[in-house]
Amino acid sequence: MVVAPTGFGKTFSVFLAVVIDFLNRPEQFAEGMKLLWITPLRSLAQDLARAMQEAINEIGLDWTVEVRNGDTDPLIRRRQQRQMPDILLVTPETLHLLLAQKGRDRFFRSLQCIAVDEWHELLGSKRGVMAELAISYLKSQYAGLRIWGITATIGNLEEALQVLVPYPGRKARVTAQEKKKLEIISVFPPEVEILPWAGHSGSRLVEQAVPLILNSRSTIVFTNTRSQSELWYQLLLEAWPDFSGQIALHHSSIDSHIRYWIEDSLSKGRLKAVVATSSLDLGVDFKPVDTVIQVGSGKSVARFMQRAGRSGHTPHEISRIYFVPTHSLELIEAAALKEAVKTRTVEDRTPVVMAFDVLVQFMVTIALGGGFKADTLCGIVRNTHAFSFITQEEWQWCVAFITTGGTIGAGYEDFHKVAVQPDGLLKVEKRRIGMLHRMNIGVIVSDAMMRVKFTSGGYVGMVEEYFLSRLRAGEKFMLAGRVLELVRIKEMTAYVRLSSGKGITPSWLGGRLPLSSNLSHFLRQKLAQAAQPGTREPELRFLHPLIARQQEYSHIPAEDEFLVEMIHTREGYHLFMYPFEGRLVHEVMAALIAFRISRLYPISFSMAMNDYGFELFSDSEIRLTEDQLHQVLSRDGLMQDVVSSINATEMARHKFRDIAVISGMVIQNTYGRQKNNKSLQSSAGIIFKVLEAYDPSNLLLKQAYTEVFNQQLEEQRLVAAFLRISKSRIIYRQATRFTPLSFPIKVDSLRQSLSSEALAQRIQKLQNSSLKPGRKTKR
Amino acid sequence: MNISEQIITFAGESLTLTNQGVLFWEKQQALVLSDLHLGKAAHFRQNGIAIPSRLAADDLEKLGQLIGHYQARTVIITGDLFHAGSNKDTDLLTALTNGHPGTGFVLIRGNHDRLPAAQLHSLGISAIYRQLKINDIAFTHLPAIEPDGFTICGHLHPGVAVQVPPYRTLRLPCYVVTPRQIILPAFSRFTGLDTRPVMPPATRYAFYEDGFIAIPET
Repeated sequence: MVVAPTGFGKTFSVFLAVVIDFLNRPEQFAEGMKLLWITPLRSLAQDLARAMQEAINEIGLDWTVEVRNGDTDPLIRRRQQRQMPDILLVTPETLHLLLAQKGRDRFFRSLQCIAVDEWHELLGSKRGVMAELAISYLKSQYAGLRIWGITATIGNLEEALQVLVPYPGRKARVTAQEKKKLEIISVFPPEVEILPWAGHSGSRLVEQAVPLILNSRSTIVFTNTRSQSELWYQLLLEAWPDFSGQIALHHSSIDSHIRYWIEDSLSKGRLKAVVATSSLDLGVDFKPVDTVIQVGSGKSVARFMQRAGRSGHTPHEISRIYFVPTHSLELIEAAALKEAVKTRTVEDRTPVVMAFDVLVQFMVTIALGGGFKADTLCGIVRNTHAFSFITQEEWQWCVAFITTGGTIGAGYEDFHKVAVQPDGLLKVEKRRIGMLHRMNIGVIVSDAMMRVKFTSGGYVGMVEEYFLSRLRAGEKFMLAGRVLELVRIKEMTAYVRLSSGKGITPSWLGGRLPLSSNLSHFLRQKLAQAAQPGTREPELRFLHPLIARQQEYSHIPAEDEFLVEMIHTREGYHLFMYPFEGRLVHEVMAALIAFRISRLYPISFSMAMNDYGFELFSDSEIRLTEDQLHQVLSRDGLMQDVVSSINATEMARHKFRDIAVISGMVIQNTYGRQKNNKSLQSSAGIIFKVLEAYDPSNLLLKQAYTEVFNQQLEEQRLVAAFLRISKSRIIYRQATRFTPLSFPIKVDSLRQSLSSEALAQRIQKLQNSSLKPGRKTKR
Repeated sequence: MNISEQIITFAGESLTLTNQGVLFWEKQQALVLSDLHLGKAAHFRQNGIAIPSRLAADDLEKLGQLIGHYQARTVIITGDLFHAGSNKDTDLLTALTNGHPGTGFVLIRGNHDRLPAAQLHSLGISAIYRQLKINDIAFTHLPAIEPDGFTICGHLHPGVAVQVPPYRTLRLPCYVVTPRQIILPAFSRFTGLDTRPVMPPATRYAFYEDGFIAIPET
């Protein structure tokens, strides 16, 4: 495995090694594909292939380098079918597609080396599991294969290596000595009062951002959400009208052709600035970019470093990133980020394990490309890190799932997917099933998207269906930096016309990134330091008036303290707690604490949270003695209480959406216009309901619950947080007005409420009160 | 089965909505239901999607019990009795129709009902219509509002999403009742819900195991 920051030539380190090996002992290499290059990004592949081909031509070899992915010309694809290039660049998905082809062995016969580029990007996701499975399969067929991973710095490098190469044999880790120099510069408003206590637009600092852009050759402005990027694009144009035509907007909902054009213009230096989301985190280097601006906290050290690395590419240049806070407390996050970057405390990427949805998909893939013997494949699967602990029963269940349609009930004979042949080989027999499977290989599940087109023709981009379906004709929304008026919706296409004035910005989901645990550690540290006068850090010094106010009204928690505030206002009673563990953990903690208090006496709460803490609000008095406070913060029976306080079923239902698509229970892509396909459409929610009723031991269902515990509830982090709290001194303060720490939570609109009444009673109550049918809100 | 009822007046007739997804018209001794989607699970299984196979049998068993409970002389299915072509599940219908020789099974053909009439008759369907009118009430599959008539239809699988804090969205099937139209819920468990708002004036009668919630739109 090669570990190095971007711009250090790590690509060439592996690629040239294979070339040199060939030059040293050409007799060991046969005609055909010699190096298989797996990369997570389609857009990266094309440029990489070009660079490799150039190098090979310079050397004077007759090797060819080609890309194979969804964009590849069918002509080239067919040629590759007969004659593979010497080096092939693929995504995990295309690799699986190759494995799904009959006679797949002829593609890989001469393969010497598999390289996995940007392994850190794949590692924490199900795409990583796809790579693991494919590599294990190829390794079993061609024992001499060498496997190289290429990764940026992450917290768990040793684990990353073990996950990629769990096989016996020699393993090496090559780490770049040179450290990338990184400079983080916080952007301050002229006065502390200008910065709001709460909020997430950052709009008041646009004036400060304009000169940064003007003084640079080319700038990327990173935002955390698509709506924020739309907003900042407008703000920049308003603040400096001359930017018109010189700046662009780049996010994943924008038409890919426009995006390619923007990327191309950026690398040619034709754009002054691009406002982007994580859509530009990865990818080819844009040489002219010398400045990066981050609006709002990046919420993770790795992401922040990655984004900073988009400027100043060569090893000796300094990557410079300007941090624009959206509210005052975010400046503490800036200080925390600096500390984390200084000590290179980068987050771990936790590998995904036991993803049965990916496994059953892979099994059908292998069954499709010539079949497999169950026992042989079981060994191959068990060799991966992801499934090293799979039991015999679980394996049998997966086999049953694809051959008889599950282990319960009768009706095996009507199930058609994979059929066991007389010789014991498991194969896909029906052409139709094979085609459907090929079209749905992959683990990226997208929301149902609707195309947005002008009535006069011309394509604008894609927007989630659920957003558009709530709009009425004539209503306006923002997309791609334009105000659009909805004219009509027809066949999954929204027709719009250009408009002006104010439009609704689609609030895309998943935009709210929670604070990483590494960062939250430094955040607590910096906050504690801020309380001491005479700090040298500019962010903390700037914030001093605010910190002083917090100290005066309440308290600034030291590192070994846990702050709880009880604030009584005219409105009612607010209980604030500040674990600094990120929004997701707080969501769970808030529900848990509310549940535990309501066990002491009946009381209903509404809840709010942000990355720093959470609030429980009640209009009746929250009576909580110091003893009771310790009791509700106790570690005893933690997970049990968590399960009682949240609705795991509903959360699992959300998680099941992806699982259903990946495992092939919900079909995302269909071919042609055949009548049959429509009748095969079903939502994951219905299937979840049906499985819960008829097949509760279904492994995919269980996986949904496991994912809730690991990802949604972040069980480990929650347990660690309660351990920390139990060791901390609990500071319990009463206040009569909102403190600087509590105020941002107070204004957070994401409110939920909990009461200790039974569900049936609640239905009754809802019925009696003015029941407004709720819209389905996703969280 | 815990049957709970809600009696409404529609077209001058007294009709009983049940929390089992069927409407009972007492004067006609008729059970009215919609969107059974028989054979859907089997159809999915034939195409390699592992849906539990017991679904259809359960739906039909429930219907059988309801026929017995209400002593229905007629069962009117307002469309989408079948999901796709004939398969293992569709044959199960014969057992139900044979088991109730004194009951007539009337099908209003829905967009999913592609089977030829002869085959439907052989499965025990006694009459097939595009539209059927009894007294002032027309039974159709697709929702259609006649300016001065009354219709009972299906097709839409209506439902409501009710937020129950915290984290809880209850999605319940419902009847949509307007002065001139009743849209029936889908009878099958293996169907989705359309929870989009409805045009007022209408009342949505959402139901769950123990009863009803009425949601008026004015």
